[in-house]
Amino acid sequence: MAEVSAQTQAPEGEAKGRFNRFDNPWLNPKLLWGIGILLGIVLLGLIGRMLWNTELVFTGSTPLRLPPVGFENLRGQPGEAAFPLGTDGAGRDLLALLIIGAPNTLMIGAVASLIGMTTGIILGFSAGFIGGRTDDVIRILSDVMITIPPLLILVVFQSVYGDVSLLLMAFLIAGFMWQSPTRLIRAQVLSMRESGYVKMAQLSGASTAHIMFREMLPNLIPYLFGSFIANVTTAIVTAVGLEVLGLGPQRIPTLGRVIYDAINSGALIQNLWWWWGLPTALLAVMFIALLLINLGLDEISNPRLRKI
Amino acid sequence: MRTGTRLALASALALATAMGPATAQDVPREDTVIFDIDRTIRDPGNFNWFTPGVKRLHGAHQAMWEPLFILNYETGDLEPWLATGADSNDDFSEWTISIREGVEWSDGEAFNADDVVFSVELAMGNEDLTSREAATVRAQVASVTKVDDLTVTFALTAPNPRFVVENFGNRIFGSFLVMPEHLWTGQEAASFAFNPPIGTGPYTFNSAATNRAIWDRNDDWWGAKTGFMDLPAPQRLIWLESGGEENRAQLLASNQMDAGQTVTLGTFEAMRFQNPNIISWKADLPYAWSDPCARQIEFNTTIEPWGSANMRKAVEAIIDRNQIVNVAYEGTTEASRSMFVQYGAMAPFIDAVVDAGYGFTPEGDVAAGQAMIEGEGWAMGSGGFFEKDGQTLSANITVNSASTELTRAVDIIIEQLIRAGIDARAVPVENSVFWGTALPLGEYELAYTWLSCGSVNEPWATMGRYTNESIVPIGERAPGFNNTGRWDTDATAAYTDAVAKLQGLAPGDSAAPALVVDAYQHYFAEVPFIPIVQASKLLPFNTTYWTGWPTEENNYNHPAHWWGHTHQIIHNLEKAN
Repeated sequence: MAEVSAQTQAPEGEAKGRFNRFDNPWLNPKLLWGIGILLGIVLLGLIGRMLWNTELVFTGSTPLRLPPVGFENLRGQPGEAAFPLGTDGAGRDLLALLIIGAPNTLMIGAVASLIGMTTGIILGFSAGFIGGRTDDVIRILSDVMITIPPLLILVVFQSVYGDVSLLLMAFLIAGFMWQSPTRLIRAQVLSMRESGYVKMAQLSGASTAHIMFREMLPNLIPYLFGSFIANVTTAIVTAVGLEVLGLGPQRIPTLGRVIYDAINSGALIQNLWWWWGLPTALLAVMFIALLLINLGLDEISNPRLRKI
Repeated sequence: MRTGTRLALASALALATAMGPATAQDVPREDTVIFDIDRTIRDPGNFNWFTPGVKRLHGAHQAMWEPLFILNYETGDLEPWLATGADSNDDFSEWTISIREGVEWSDGEAFNADDVVFSVELAMGNEDLTSREAATVRAQVASVTKVDDLTVTFALTAPNPRFVVENFGNRIFGSFLVMPEHLWTGQEAASFAFNPPIGTGPYTFNSAATNRAIWDRNDDWWGAKTGFMDLPAPQRLIWLESGGEENRAQLLASNQMDAGQTVTLGTFEAMRFQNPNIISWKADLPYAWSDPCARQIEFNTTIEPWGSANMRKAVEAIIDRNQIVNVAYEGTTEASRSMFVQYGAMAPFIDAVVDAGYGFTPEGDVAAGQAMIEGEGWAMGSGGFFEKDGQTLSANITVNSASTELTRAVDIIIEQLIRAGIDARAVPVENSVFWGTALPLGEYELAYTWLSCGSVNEPWATMGRYTNESIVPIGERAPGFNNTGRWDTDATAAYTDAVAKLQGLAPGDSAAPALVVDAYQHYFAEVPFIPIVQASKLLPFNTTYWTGWPTEENNYNHPAHWWGHTHQIIHNLEKAN
């Protein structure tokens, strides 16, 4: 397929178009856009912290229920420039909440996914490559774990445990993030194990760890990245799900927590759309960025998807 | 947002199903009154009110079980209901209650002195009946005797001029409820589920689930037959768990609910914006009614460092009540000046306490609080929190997550404590955990409560709750939620002795304020709990289908529709058209 289209395009500058794209598969617009948006959110957090008063995330630090600049609330109060995105019902500044909350939400997703993936890689390779009893144990464990709905367990755990820190929450979610990568990587490794270069490495006396991580792992990198991003999305959805139920960290702002407070305080009926709307919109942007990255990575690991 | 909508939808569905199968007789919406409950009915098949749980406020004591008397908060009178009057001997150690003639249980049996004597003796003889009213009767009554079918006498363990209002008058939330002897005889009182339940009220039980209870009018009610009162207008009453402020507001605004639990000011204004038929106690700001249970911070004195009076006083100094009033309550309440509810009838006692120098100020004084903490050997650490022996000074405040009002007030207190150097955090717990285990068993460090609640027009009911007579070990149920913080020092003993002198005083005795100050000094020296703000209840009522709700103008009684006096509200309701 790729060859056919390459041939049809050949007359208009074959070398240029074709080789550039093959040389830099990482420079695809979806990936770049996705990364750009995510970086924007991270920068909003980093630069925002320097430029904006982050003390305004605490209860009672601003007037109540002010709308964003240019709008009026139900009482007819106009927005104030000091709180450009408005304030919530407990006296917190929305801009400050987003500046602190968005990177926190992203961080939970990234950390949970990183831990989950790392565990998945180690277990998946061990199961696939070593085989035998190791394979049985890891396979059965991940098969059992994959049937347990994570949100259910986490809701129970967090409601018993009470207030959790961001990192602890990430660790808890990571506990449900390793099963799929383990299974998928194991399957990939099983097929790769029989390939020539692995046999060659074995014959030349390379250690198991060397073969697993130096010979086989590089071939899986685009795939692992894709899997990682998909896991970040799942982890964020799980985290936000818990936060919206009021089970996340209490005093540390996260986007889910802001939405929880809004729901809990009747923001919908009070028409305080900025309170629930802005964090929801930011979450949507975040998910779109992650989706773009995922699509981009998919094109990298699967050349047949590339438009050439 | 999605969850909110889903919850609203779920409530609407629950309502639809609630009205669906049960409406074999098809009671139209305009003949139905829908009340809001703020908690789950954990055990909808159990109607044994002697034991803890949601067994009364889902309609049982508002519609089915009637009290002997109802205290009118507006006039201060004790209005007879199943009784016709009460009398005492000179020193208030013996009381006689006369019962109304012609009262019947809904199964046709007569209600008489035998039922009263049986129920009181049941509570007296069984320590497992732990509900507050049962525990109070057990503590106060030495013996109960039937004189004739309509007369009962009580001999008390100690003189008590408030015996009737305290036990049978619905003074706070509920009353001691008389159970039918003919159904309870021979049952194991602590485990009997009493299902199906019966009562003397104008409504009988239809059905209940975890989120709702349905009651249908009994057109054969004794009150209408004897001319005591007309049948109430609503044919059906439903108590429905609304599940949070947003859903509550949506249900009320869309006329799917008639009486709501408390909401915040912003939500109330928004509801009125959408539905002008929504009213509350006051016609204008602050709209709210002050209930008699002022908010406070409770300390578990068995957990260090809160055993130290100076540490408790430091927290008191740090807390800025004004900010709590302005942010959490949006100006709908006021800061507490003492442990008493700020009603007109309590003014002599509050003034006496404040004049003696024992009043609390509305502003916080962080520097003074920090100095007290340092005086206890703590030093400010690098993390911005006080430390001692490698330990950070922390405070876990247990809060009932059922209401935004409570969680928001605690959020602000936590903010104030953190800024002063105490690593505070909220421990939100579900309503049933809060009342079922956390408070009575002493399983908390600090808690946002209203456990000094009791006094309305005299000082003893509140003061008597913190004596050393109610102290039980942690893990055992504090009788009647009294002194759950296990405050037990020499000051407690002195306080207990001083409070005892108040107990036998007749209402209006001029010696009372001086005796209050005498006892109050021991409380103020150690502050086992910190009064924070008065309670404001912004209870929305919907006049689309029903009018006659209690308001400041139509003030036949107060508007707390989960209390036992709600019989009066139901009898006052009229169809809107």
